[in-house]
Amino acid sequence: MKTSVLLLAAPLAVILALGLAPLVLVVVWSFCAWDSATYWIKPEFSVAAYGAVLEAGRWSVFLSTLGKAFLTASICLVIAYPTAYAMYFLAGRRLSVLLAALLTIPFFTSYLIRSFSWRLLLGRTGVINTLLQQAGITDAPLDWLLFSDFAVIVGLVASYLPFATFPVLLSMRRVDPIALAASRDLGAGFWTMARTVLLPLTYSGVFAGFLFVFVMVAGSSTEVQMLGGAGASIVSVMINDVMRVANFPLAFAISTLMLVIVFGLVLIGDAIFGLSSLFEERGQ
Amino acid sequence: MIVREGTTPRIVIWTLTVIGLAVIYAPPLYLLGVSFNPALQPGLPHFSDITLKWYLALGAESALVAALGQSIVIALATAIIATLLSLGAALAYRELHRGRSLWFLTVLLPMFVPGVIQGLALSTVLSRAGVKASALTVIAGHLLWAMPFAFIVILTSFAAVKRTYLMAADDLGASRLRQFLDITLPLIRPGLVSAFIFSFLLSFNEFTRAFYLAGRQNTLPVVLFGKMNAGASPTIYAMSGAIFLVSSVCVVVVALRSLLMQRQAGRSI
Repeated sequence: MKTSVLLLAAPLAVILALGLAPLVLVVVWSFCAWDSATYWIKPEFSVAAYGAVLEAGRWSVFLSTLGKAFLTASICLVIAYPTAYAMYFLAGRRLSVLLAALLTIPFFTSYLIRSFSWRLLLGRTGVINTLLQQAGITDAPLDWLLFSDFAVIVGLVASYLPFATFPVLLSMRRVDPIALAASRDLGAGFWTMARTVLLPLTYSGVFAGFLFVFVMVAGSSTEVQMLGGAGASIVSVMINDVMRVANFPLAFAISTLMLVIVFGLVLIGDAIFGLSSLFEERGQ
Repeated sequence: MIVREGTTPRIVIWTLTVIGLAVIYAPPLYLLGVSFNPALQPGLPHFSDITLKWYLALGAESALVAALGQSIVIALATAIIATLLSLGAALAYRELHRGRSLWFLTVLLPMFVPGVIQGLALSTVLSRAGVKASALTVIAGHLLWAMPFAFIVILTSFAAVKRTYLMAADDLGASRLRQFLDITLPLIRPGLVSAFIFSFLLSFNEFTRAFYLAGRQNTLPVVLFGKMNAGASPTIYAMSGAIFLVSSVCVVVVALRSLLMQRQAGRSI
């Protein structure tokens, strides 16, 4: 026990001091009044910032953020589940490692650059519009391809797809192949087997994947800034905008609400599915 | 193969897999192609026109070069600290029994905090405390982003350390430190290298947190973001292409290493 305390002291100190403490202060400061003379807070209790969240259509940004997160996470899972199946059940070992590497690369390359690249593909004179016109499918550039919710969702799916694939893959590794074989012996077709045996056994991975993407999208800003139209917004962009006029309490109130939503989801997810168990090796 | 899929399921599964990969790779690969195009307008070059002139022009972009240097220093420092701290965190995870799940969530927690919120919170607290924005403040922010990933990578590499190895060493009278140095460390070294490289890349490419925490000397993504919005010059494509290539090569090296390790492990059994 003593060694473990020594070992976790340093990382814990960093997480608490740099990560958690500032967030706690943000929550505390969100209940203070704004001082327009100093562009900082007045040390008196006020819920005015939360009132301001409700007005001027700010709550609709919350709704649209949650909507974007839900839609992106759902699309990601539709692609991620078959990908994980292909990697674990269909591909040989070499192809499986190759697919894993291909999915890992985007994790570690710049999301800024990837979002920016979509502009070249989706713009009025971009590749997709050019190809569509050359093929005679359209005779004018499609305007909704870029600076639209469509572009934002495409950019978000591309950014966060691997966050859905790997949890599903981890959960598939825990499935006993005998269970799948048994269902086949009992006469189940592939789709029946997938729906009634495989899917229920991998719910933890599906939920974890959904949660990861949902949370990442809820906190994203670059994709919306790069690909969204003039009116497009997401909570993180709204915080940026509020900070331009240095309205700290309002920015903190928005942040607090977002943190409550995100941490609430993570804690619920962990309570139901045990996120940490996904990363534990079988039979350890 | 125990599971027998029909042809239709296979086609559906592989199609969706390929669509996923296409969505991920089309943009950066296209951008890479554009970076070799001599024209000012973005488009794919003909094979005969391929040029490196935008890459050569990068040397003259003093703001980019200075930001690149700054980003490398910050990423190196972040990677070293993140790897060491995550190693401690992973070792503690192995030691813990009851608090395991809680500790796991604690280390992962910063990963779930939106970058804008984390960056704003940290920069506000630091500036209130009188700390000037500098490379150090950026490292502080990047550390929170890199540590959860380094932790998971190192934790996964601990699968190679079987309890029985350590028990055997213990029976033979090896101290905890000797067990760690002679058994655990060599076995998890690939994980440590991967964690280092991944932390480096995550810090090197991180934009949102640096946006709030950077001082006068900006990091590369922050400078790039400004340039991307200020009307594109082709040198941006070259810089982006170079970053994508270097990041990809790093990940491929890690993947090949792990493949090699697996094969050696497979042979020895």
